[in-house]
Amino acid sequence: MTTWVGAPVPRKEDARLTTGRGRYLDDIARSGLLHAAMLRSPHAHARIVSIDVSEAERLPGVLGVLSGAEAAAASQPIRPLIPTPTPLRDWCLAVDRVRFAGEPVAAVAAVDRATAEDAVERIQVAYEPLAPVVDPEAAIEPGAPLLYPELGTNVLWHDVLSYGDVDGAFTRADGVLRERFEIQRYASTPLETFGCIAEHDAGTDTYTFWTNDQRPGFTLAILAESLGVPQSRLRLVCPDIGGAFGNKRRPAYLLTCALLARKTGRPVKYLEDRIENLTALMHACNGVMDVELAYRNDGTVLAFRIRDIADEGKNLVSPTQHNLIKLGNIANGYRIGAIRYEPYSVLTTKCPSGANRGIGKPFMCFAIERTMALLARRLGLDPAELRLRNYVQPAEMPYTTPTGSQYDSGDYPATLRRALERFDYRGRRAEQARARKEGRLLGIGLATSVEPAGTNLASYELITGRRAASGSAEAAMVRIEPDGQVRAALGNPATGQGYETVVAQIVADELGLAPDEVHVARGFDSLGTPSLYLSGSYSNKFSVTDVGAVVGAARKVRDKALRIAAHRLEAAPADLELIDGEARVRGVPGRGLTLREIARTAYADVLGLPPGEDPGLESRHFHSNPLAAPVDERRRVRSQLVFSNAAHCCLVEVERRTGQVRILAYLVVHDCGRELNPGIVEGMVHGSTVHGIGAALLEEFRYDEGGNLLTSTFMDYLKPTALDVPDIDVDHLETPSPFTPLGAKGVGEGGSIPGPAAVANAVEDALAAFVIRSLPITPERVWSWLNLAGETGARRTR
Amino acid sequence: MISVRLTVNGRAVERDVPPRRSLAEFLREDLGLTGTHVGCEHGVCGACTVLVGGRSARSCLLFAAQLEDATVTTIEGLTPAAGLSALQSAFRDCHALQCGFCTPGMIVAAHELLAENPAPSREEIRAAIAGNLCMCTGYVSIVRAIEQAAAARRGGSLP
Ligand code: FES
Ligand code: FES
Repeated sequence: MTTWVGAPVPRKEDARLTTGRGRYLDDIARSGLLHAAMLRSPHAHARIVSIDVSEAERLPGVLGVLSGAEAAAASQPIRPLIPTPTPLRDWCLAVDRVRFAGEPVAAVAAVDRATAEDAVERIQVAYEPLAPVVDPEAAIEPGAPLLYPELGTNVLWHDVLSYGDVDGAFTRADGVLRERFEIQRYASTPLETFGCIAEHDAGTDTYTFWTNDQRPGFTLAILAESLGVPQSRLRLVCPDIGGAFGNKRRPAYLLTCALLARKTGRPVKYLEDRIENLTALMHACNGVMDVELAYRNDGTVLAFRIRDIADEGKNLVSPTQHNLIKLGNIANGYRIGAIRYEPYSVLTTKCPSGANRGIGKPFMCFAIERTMALLARRLGLDPAELRLRNYVQPAEMPYTTPTGSQYDSGDYPATLRRALERFDYRGRRAEQARARKEGRLLGIGLATSVEPAGTNLASYELITGRRAASGSAEAAMVRIEPDGQVRAALGNPATGQGYETVVAQIVADELGLAPDEVHVARGFDSLGTPSLYLSGSYSNKFSVTDVGAVVGAARKVRDKALRIAAHRLEAAPADLELIDGEARVRGVPGRGLTLREIARTAYADVLGLPPGEDPGLESRHFHSNPLAAPVDERRRVRSQLVFSNAAHCCLVEVERRTGQVRILAYLVVHDCGRELNPGIVEGMVHGSTVHGIGAALLEEFRYDEGGNLLTSTFMDYLKPTALDVPDIDVDHLETPSPFTPLGAKGVGEGGSIPGPAAVANAVEDALAAFVIRSLPITPERVWSWLNLAGETGARRTR
Repeated sequence: MISVRLTVNGRAVERDVPPRRSLAEFLREDLGLTGTHVGCEHGVCGACTVLVGGRSARSCLLFAAQLEDATVTTIEGLTPAAGLSALQSAFRDCHALQCGFCTPGMIVAAHELLAENPAPSREEIRAAIAGNLCMCTGYVSIVRAIEQAAAARRGGSLP
């Protein structure tokens, strides 16, 4: 019975969100609430010689000040997701040393935000500046300033992962293409900034956190450890969340507020301002990638050798993920026999890196798809034709790449062909040729991608050699209340994906109801929502794990309801079906029992239950995706589990006089398997693609040599506006995954992965004589390539 | 403290405010109108957009104390007592929101546009919301929703 799954059902969330009745973190009131402000380091790297908070403490309205030393005395260091080779100790506030400009060194709780901010300015800190290290390649060099001298290096992970006969392939090749690419730091910058409220109840010694943290399972574990409080005494609640995209996590802020709450006996709130958000929350790693591609003259791609340096900034919470995750799309959609990958995860004195829509995969796709564009140019082949010659074929599915990724399903050639046709690729090539004759610079860019979903945490064994967490899983519950009404909850707080609607669609189908008859809890509440350490909104996992959890919970409750109804109706459960809120005997009209009646039996008339049946009508289900497996003896691993794919086509015009790039047309053809709600899916495709366009043309966290961020407001860190992006045309294929309960695949990261490559390929195609090696492609850079050719432009693009 | 008298969503309001209280804070904290959101506090994102005297304004850049005698309308004031306005239902029908954080400001900006120009072109719609950032939707469905609402308000159907 699938009536609602697959329909573009309008979202349940939207009645409240369009009317201003959403409830976001900043809308939550607590009596006696204090507001926290943070003192942040003005230096990229310095020793803290002394801190004097006495003047701040004396300011009327200030109830508590917390220094790093005090935080270290009152809490445990924050455990990193990935253990470092030598244990490093890092608390919620800097102790002894600051390692990026913007790192919190002290916090104040006061009666209002303005007072807290005034008090912060009265804290006296004496710093002894140390040499910053801003460039990741410099950070690798012997003698580089070290962030953690006890580690003896800034390199958190360096390895050489070799799959297949790489050297043999290079020996046999007709040619080798070598190129170096760079990616800048950028971030998805959710419109709502990150924050939390922490409250300590002294009577029960319990803590409650309200936060827009997108990964509550993991965060609860960290909070318990660092506060030294059993997890049974912690409660974490997520309200409506104003976007997240990977950025919304910083356990340190929750800890700081908890310590201030314990100290003052009052609830304490902290909410970043935008400058703090851009300076200190989370950036995608910038990085440098050296790519070598072995090919045959017919365009067959034989092997890749890749050296990839990821600049982690001061990231001890989740380092190495930007490197490791690239194993998921390092082969992209191509049949490549051999791959060598040499990752470096490097600490520098910059903002911590972290999850950001696509994590690492946009850069991987950028490097591969730029290389393919250059190879097509070198061989005189059409870039579409080159790709078609190298794709994994639909008949080969499921297909295992050299690194161990399993492409579960999809038709990559058909996706590209559909795109070429819908984009009128040939017609547009002719249009481009005509425009060239008139002196106009038109360019067409193609990029195609695989989009992995669901992270198997066992992949981190590759780095640590042991397993801390593994697999990919989520939890859900479905309950038919005593009055027969249905309620559901998911361990993954929505951050804009419309889970209340999609979960309701799924449950409605399982229980024979309409989505409006299923109430799905907003956000997350650890007291009522089942959850796992792995719970949360990350790695595109909804289709891979969450759907299974919801389906499982709904089926358990349905089966129980049918057993109860069968007993009451003296029928066999197999002869019953649930339709329109009623269990009916198939083929016997009029013989049935409503959910309300079934629920009354389950909760009230418990002697009417079948023998051995427990009362109640509620179930929880924890779903683990069966594809997750440990690292194998050849160091192969399914780091991610299910693969969508897409083809992007982009037409740009470059204005000679100004260097301005205008996107004239943009098409996405994608295949995310079964679309649970096509209206939501299309929005994800649009939004993710614009993240890719922003990274390609506008966004960059730029640092000076001293490690100071130069783009710390939305006036200089530029986001795409409605005037910067085109009407994106979307079409889709629908190849269901055999490995997810409803056949759905990932769609959240979508266009953020191939988008930067598609735009860069188009601009390069327009400019013809230049090689684009880095982003963003700003007007000033394009202008300098066009006008200062031979100096900086043509050789190196930055 | 400065005493200020103004009209908010049709109701007369009189309050004493500290000089540095922004209009956004005043609406959210003093009046409990939390539909107006704050995304940057430096005048770029448009999440805090409200109408002052019928013109869109960034409530993070105005001081409450400046608004003596002003008429302020927020998303709450543009919401009918029951159901949704034409813009609000068009946003829902077109999936023109995801996290919803930008949505109140977007709807206020779109309301101003449609009040002046009942049949805007796509280009005019894009220009009208160019001061409102949305990090989620890529704007495509927002533009569609405003087109649809304009048509609905004119009583016509979509072109
Ligand atoms: S909060 Fe006012 S413009 Fe961003
Ligand atoms: S819907 Fe999230 S910012 Fe627009």
